[in-house]
This record gives sequence, structure tokens and C-alpha cells, in this order.
Amino acid sequence: MHGINISRKQAIACAALIIAAVIIGAIGLYGLNARQSASGVTLLEEMRLQAILNTAGTGAVDAYVAAEKQAATKAVRAEGGGMKEVREASAKAAEEALARAQELGIGEVALSAIDTKPLASALNTLAEAQTAYFDEEARAQAAYIEAHADEVTVQQDADVADDGEEMSDLEMMEQTVDLSGFTATAEMQALQADVDAAYLALCEEIKLVFPALTDDILTSLKATITGIVAQSGDTFETRYDRAVEASGMQPGANGWIMRNGRTLALSAVGLCILALAVFFYGPLVAKLGVPRLIIGMFFVLLCLMALILDLSLTSQLSNALVRLGMNGVLVLSMLPGIQCGISLNLGMPIGIIGGLIGGLLCIELGMSGMSGFFFAIAVGLVISAVTGYLYGQLLNRLKGDEMSVTTYVGFSIVSLMCIAWLVLPFKSPVMKWPLGDGLRTTIGLQDAYKHVLNNFLSFEVLGITVPTGLLLFFALCCFLVWLFMRSRTGIAVSAAGANPRFAAATGINVNRMRIIGTMLSTMLAAVGIVVYGQSYGFMQLYQAPRQMGFLAASAILLGGASTSRARISHVVIGTFLFQGVLTLSMPVANALIPGSTISETLRILISNGIILYALTKSGGATRG
Amino acid sequence: MVKKNWREFARNNVVTIMFIVLCAVCMVLSGYTPSYVVYELFGRLSRNAFIVLALIIPIIAGMGINFAITIGAMAAQIACILVIEWGIQGFTSFLAAAALTVPMAALFGFGIGKILNKMKGQEMIGGMILGYFANGLYQLLCLFIFDNIIPINNPDLTITGSTGIANTIDLAKNGMANSLESLWKLPAYQAVLVFAAVIAIILLIGYARSPRKNAKRLGIQIGTLAAVCVIMQIPAVKELFSMVMVPMATFGLVALLCVFNVVIMRTRLGQQFRAVGQSRVVANAAGINVDKVRIIAITISTVLAGWGQLIFVQNLGAFQTYGAADQVGLYAGAAILVGGASVVRATNTQALLGTVLFHLMFILAPAAGKNLLGNAAIGEYFRVFMCYGVIALALVMHAWSSVAPRKKLKGGDKATDKA
Repeated sequence: MHGINISRKQAIACAALIIAAVIIGAIGLYGLNARQSASGVTLLEEMRLQAILNTAGTGAVDAYVAAEKQAATKAVRAEGGGMKEVREASAKAAEEALARAQELGIGEVALSAIDTKPLASALNTLAEAQTAYFDEEARAQAAYIEAHADEVTVQQDADVADDGEEMSDLEMMEQTVDLSGFTATAEMQALQADVDAAYLALCEEIKLVFPALTDDILTSLKATITGIVAQSGDTFETRYDRAVEASGMQPGANGWIMRNGRTLALSAVGLCILALAVFFYGPLVAKLGVPRLIIGMFFVLLCLMALILDLSLTSQLSNALVRLGMNGVLVLSMLPGIQCGISLNLGMPIGIIGGLIGGLLCIELGMSGMSGFFFAIAVGLVISAVTGYLYGQLLNRLKGDEMSVTTYVGFSIVSLMCIAWLVLPFKSPVMKWPLGDGLRTTIGLQDAYKHVLNNFLSFEVLGITVPTGLLLFFALCCFLVWLFMRSRTGIAVSAAGANPRFAAATGINVNRMRIIGTMLSTMLAAVGIVVYGQSYGFMQLYQAPRQMGFLAASAILLGGASTSRARISHVVIGTFLFQGVLTLSMPVANALIPGSTISETLRILISNGIILYALTKSGGATRG
Repeated sequence: MVKKNWREFARNNVVTIMFIVLCAVCMVLSGYTPSYVVYELFGRLSRNAFIVLALIIPIIAGMGINFAITIGAMAAQIACILVIEWGIQGFTSFLAAAALTVPMAALFGFGIGKILNKMKGQEMIGGMILGYFANGLYQLLCLFIFDNIIPINNPDLTITGSTGIANTIDLAKNGMANSLESLWKLPAYQAVLVFAAVIAIILLIGYARSPRKNAKRLGIQIGTLAAVCVIMQIPAVKELFSMVMVPMATFGLVALLCVFNVVIMRTRLGQQFRAVGQSRVVANAAGINVDKVRIIAITISTVLAGWGQLIFVQNLGAFQTYGAADQVGLYAGAAILVGGASVVRATNTQALLGTVLFHLMFILAPAAGKNLLGNAAIGEYFRVFMCYGVIALALVMHAWSSVAPRKKLKGGDKATDKA
């Protein structure tokens, strides 16, 4: 631990944070504990009872007023009054009845005044029945979604084609099966009967309290009351909030602590992590750099937010795992480029197009499954080897100026290919627009190689689905690149990138090494897009490949690479962090601001911010 | 000797020549009448010329094409939103937006300059990524800060049913749309007379004040102007320009900016731009504060770009809140390169010629693509490809000439194929 110099300010901030964390954490834990304790349970129960009695009370007053109104109307009618008189009398009676009801306290009842035991037990029975029903419903719906997973369609084509904007692949995780065809199962119906029975039992108890209530009114109140008791996807917090709102009771500080116990406890964890970060600020910044530290902390924050908002962290983590494998190879393709000295290969779309052609040929020839997948990769490799060679030749003529040139060369090739997608003579109806010429912007891979890797040997651990095949394939690619970089040629490539003059002096053909690096980078991009497509389930043509170079570049930079040096670990860490932040930010942002596109904005900010940072680091040193 | 000069000229202006040929071919294929094309062209020129001219100073200061002008455009759009929110009407709203753009764009320009000073030699890619990054911040501002933290009371500005600024901002309601154009419009043959008169007066004043009374040059210049005026009065030419109503104020501003670009180069600051552009090391040795000069160049460019975007959006009468600024840098950069500028050399003439050629292509390509291949989308993609291709080609050629200044450009043909 030597070598860590902690300034006074740091120490004070750290101590303050830890003290705050301990206090908040203690309160939070107390609150969590109180939920299970007798007093806590009673508090919630009382509030709930009060809420239900309030609702029923309103109903009782309504019933009382209605009865009075009817009586008044009848009396006037009997006297032979006209419509006007009837209306006036009825209004007057309603007013009087309302006043009398308030005076008599028909709609109000103090909990202390009645025997709450039978009511409470009836209420608990109802709550249990409802919970059972909702559990069953969730299970049945999950089964339904599983069974109809093939019907998932993406909102595509028309709107995408117009503005040429790329479709967010983040939405992949959000695709939902249309549940309109879902009908209740037999189990659900049985449980629903239980709920009904429990509700009737509760009604009997309520009637004892409010004799004025009629069955009709109780039936009409059913939705409100059951809504207060339990709802689908309930947590302690939501139940508590509903009870407070409907009962109008002030639960006091104790209740507040109970309500926010989880939030407080998680905030305390966050504060502890922040304290640690402050404590080890120096070494962390030295080792990770400012942007990675910020984004790392942001990732932790998102995880905590997900827990606080009660989003399923495990499913988000399995999404992140899938996205790691999905984007990993694309990010890996940056590595040989950086190592061989062409800096960030923002012309990566050139390779991606090779992979896309591979995928198209695979569909056209009607291949599917593993063989189709490897066929697409093989075709992609061949095409991108050729284009990569030419591209490398071009780059050798403009040493030192690669990045801006590669970007625009990549862009122009992508737009040239846009024309090609329109005119290439593919025949398969899966790919063609139903009307008019050319290929679709988004092509479904259901019949080709969708999820062949994702589903290969995949298993579930602790609720996290591990896409074994995908991760194995990614690991294999990493291993091969690692092996290559340790081979004689690989070392020569790295040497040519690190110091071209020295490398040339030791007899290395620098131009040849640069071409090898560029080719490798382009070929990996081709493999990467096929892997990406099989995970995503779709192939995106036209403008979509344009930004992929930037995303891959920012991921590897986030992992700790510079514009001139990169390692395999940078690829893995960077991809996981980048994709993790993106996957988590979407549900969190949607929970905070519904319907927002903030995660898309976040992606723009993170990916471009990190590239900018790397550029300032690389360009700042070369003066003059 | 003459032949060699000709070849030199052709090589230096390969992009321009290629574009002229392309435009001619597209013109034939498109089947548009010339007067319609001229009409469209004038509309596009009045919208776009200003912003292209805003690129010149950073090029001279050695920072390449300032792709970060998108940020200036964003400043102008924010100014528009605020002006509408404050309920300012008519031409005043345009002036208010222009005034409001200045401090914002200057601040952003200063920031851009600071960042670009940290990545010398990578300004173009840096500026581009800075533009993307700023787009993220702009989205953050428009979607989550406006209307949430800063209240927006004008219901036309916000998305109904959600928070944030609406996708399209309509400038017609508060009268900003076309407020600059409608100040003073003239038919083309009269407009030429006005401009010729103004230029002639400027030339005469210049002649009177210049120590060397070069009467021959003055004669040629005024003669040319007179000839242009006369040609414009020929019925056939008049017919060609018959649909054009020249917005005098807009073109007046463009002319003013041209004058500004010339005049600033004669000042001390202009000399410093040029010195820094030629060699930072030498400029530094000569006692010029290189970083400061570069920041000034970018700041001027950003403010001018902001005004250019204002002219653009008021001409169109509406803009896409989240997309209008994205392509500004790309189109302007491609336009100036088409005119024969390189990433180290640019003049007013090149910028204007480039704007004409580039937008001519924009008008003609879709129709030509449709007539030739039966698909308008091909023409659309073709022009996008031309934008990127022109920039890529210019960058490749620049990189080649700087890597091997003496070596013969052997691969020139291949690069042309690529574009």
C-alpha cells in the first residue's frame, strides 16, 4: 500500500463519505428490518385496512345518499309533482343526506372502534390469493412469450428507409411479443375463483362495519379494492405507496424509513464505493485514466439505480453478456490496426461490408444453421482479405494521416455500397423489398443463422443466461489474435507500428507488416459483423455500418487502449464496460423518464467523448 | 511549356473538372429545363453560400476543413428556439437570433479551439467527432434540460405528450421565415445592375486610394462588369433567369462576407493566420502565439457558421431540431473542396464555385438517376457518395502530396476511381 499519498482534503472527504454511508446504511437496514418486524407489519396492515374502509365508506355514503334521493323522489312523485319539482327535491335530499351522513359518520369508522381481526384476516386471504394469481399470470405469460418468440417483428422498413437513420440495436432487448392473443389458463381461472371467493368473504366483513352498503356497490368497488390490495409486479414500496395514498394516513418517520429502507441501504453501498474511489483516487486515475474512472463509477451507479428501481439486474447482466459477445469481435478488429500503426481503423466498414455480402449470399443460397454461419464467415473473410489488401496499400501511401482519411474512405465506400444494395441481383424474397427494387434496410436472419451461437450450449446460472457458444467464439477469436500477436510475424507487426524507423533498421518490411495488420483488422471486422448479426437476428444494410467503426473504437479506448497501443484485455474490459453501461442505462432511464431516448444520447456522448479524449492524448504531444 | 501548365492545372483541379463534367452529364440526363435549374440553384445558393464561406479562415490558419461548424449551427438553432420562446416577431426575431448566436457560438468556438489545440494535426477528425459529441450534448439540452429544468412555455415548441423540444421547429408562425429574403427582392437582370454598381464604386474608391494608379486593371474590371450587365439584358439570358427573384439582402450578406474574408487577410491578424497555416514552428519562432491565433480562427468560423445556419433555416422556414445541424459540416466541406480548394488553400472564388457545382449536382443527381436507372434512390445515394467521396479524395490527395511532395503521383488514377 505504500506510494499512496492521501491529501488532507481527500482524507476528510473520505471520512465524511464513510460516516454518511454508515449512518444511512444503518437507517436503511433498520428500515428493511422493520418491514418484517411486528410493528412494521401492523403499520402496513392498518394503513391498508384504513384504505379499504375509506373506499368502502365512500361507497356507503353513496348508497345512503342514493337511498335518500330515491325516497325523496318517490315522495314528490306521490304528491304529483312535475319533473322540475322532482329534480329539485332530489338535489335537496342528496345535499341533506350528504350532510347527515357526515354528521352521523356513516362513511367513517375509526380502526380502534371496531374489531379489526376478522377484517384483517379476510384481507390477508385476499392478498395471498391475488399474489398467487399474479404469479401464475406472470408464469403463464412468460410461457406464452416463449412459445410465440418467433412472431417478434421489428418495426422496420418504411420509416428507416426514409431518413436513412440507423436503427438502434439496443431495442433488440425490448422487442415484445404481442400479448393480445393471450388467454387465461385453467390454473389462472382457478386462482381467479379463489380471489373472487376471498373478496366475497372480505365484503361480508365490510358489510358488518357499514350496514348501508349494498352488494351492487361492493361489486362496483371490487376493482378499486383489489387494486389497493395487490397489483401485478408488486413490491413492498409500491404496496406501501398505494396504501398511504388511499388511506390518507401519515405513517411518520418510522414508515418513511421502512418505505425507503432499500434505497437507503443501496445508497450507503454507493457511498462506500465512492469513498473507496476517493481514497484510491491517485492510483486509480494513474491506472485507469479519468474517463474510464468516470464511466466505471457511472456503471456502478447504474447497477445501484437498477436495484433501487427494482429492475431485474440479472436479466440486464445477461443482456450485457450477450452484447459483450455480440460486439466483441468487432471491437477486437481494432486491435491489429492499432498495433500495426494505422491507429484507429475507422475505415472498418470496409470489412463489415465483406461480412454483409457473406450473410447475403448465405441467405440467397438458402443455407442455414451452423453451416450457413461459417459459410458467411468464409465468404466475408475472402472478400475482406482482398479489400483489406487494397485498403492497406492505400494507407501505406499516406502514413501519419490515416484517421481522417480512413473515416471518409470508409464513409464513401458505405455510400457506394448503398447503390450496390439497390442494384445487386439478389433474388431471395426475404431480402428484397416487396415492391420496387433493391434489398431491405433490415433483413431478418430467422431462416439463416440467427442465434446459432447464442443458443449453442447456453445455460442458466443464478438467473443469468450464459450464451456459451457466443462467448466461446469470442474467446477463440481473442485467443487466435493473441497467439498471432506472439508469433514472429505478430511481433514484427507490433514493432512496425511502435517504431517504424527502428523496425525498418532491423530488417522488417514495414509496409508489408502494415498491410498484414490492416488486412487482419478488416477480416476480423467481417467476422465481427456476422457474429453481430447472428446475435441481433438481423442484418443492417445501407447506412448502418457507417457508425460501427466509431463504436468499436470507443469501446477499445474505453478498455484502456491508446491510439497506438492495445491489448486483448482492453478489448474485453472495454466492450463489457461500454455495452454494460448502454444496456443498463436504457431501462434505468426509461424508469426515470418514461419514453425517453436518453440512452441513445448517452451512447453518442460516451462513444464520441472517449474518442475525443484519446485524440487529445495522442495529438497533444506532437507540437509544431 | 503551355502543355505542361495545362496538365498541372488539370491535376490541381481534378475534382472541379470532374464535377463540371458530371454536372453536364446529369444536366442532359435529368431533362430539367435550364431556367428551372437556375431557379433552384439560386434558392440553394442563397441558403448555403454563407456557411461555405465560413470555412475559409480555418483552412488558411492550417486547421483544415472545420467540420466543427456543426456546433455553430447548433448555437443558431438554440438561438432560434429561444427567440420563438420569447415571442419575438418578424424581422426583429431574425436580428435577435443573430445577436444571440454571437455569444453562444463564440463561447463554443473558444472551447473547440482549446480542444483542437490539444490534437494538432488531427483537427479534421477531431472536429468531426467534436461535432458528434456536441450533437449528444445538444440532444441532452433539447430533450432533457429545456422543458424540464428550463421551462418552455410556448406549446408549439414542445413535444405534445412528452417532454423536450419538438422535432420540427416552425419559423413561419413568428414571421422569421423568409424575413431576410423578403426585405428586398429584384429580378435577376436588375439585381446584376445593383451589384455591378456597388462593385464598381468599391473599385473606384480602391483606385483612388491606391498609390499605384493601375488604370488598365481598373478598365478591365469595370469593362467586365459592364459586359456582364449587358449580357444579362439579352432576352435569351433574361429568359433563363426569368424565374429567379434575387434576395438582395441575403446575397448582400454573402458579398459582405467575401469582402470580410479578403480584408481580414490584409490585417495583422490575417497575416498571423497565414503564418500559422504555413508553419506553426516558424510562426512560433516569429513570436506569434500560435494557440491563440488558432482559437481566434475557429471562433470566427463558428460564429459565421452560426449566422450561415440562421440564413439557412429562415430561408427554409422550418428546421429539424435533431437533424438539421448534423450534415452542415459535411455538405459545406464537400462544397468548398469541389470548388478546387484543398485542406490547406481556399479562396472566396473556390468557395462560391464549389457551392454552385455541388448544389447543381444536388439538384440534378436524383432526376438523372431516375431517368438513367429508373430509381431516384440511386441518385440520392450517389450524391451522398459524392459528398464523402470528394472529401476522401481531397484528403487522400493532400496526404499524398504532403508525404511525397516531389514524387510523381502515380496512384492518382486509382484514387479517382475510388471517389
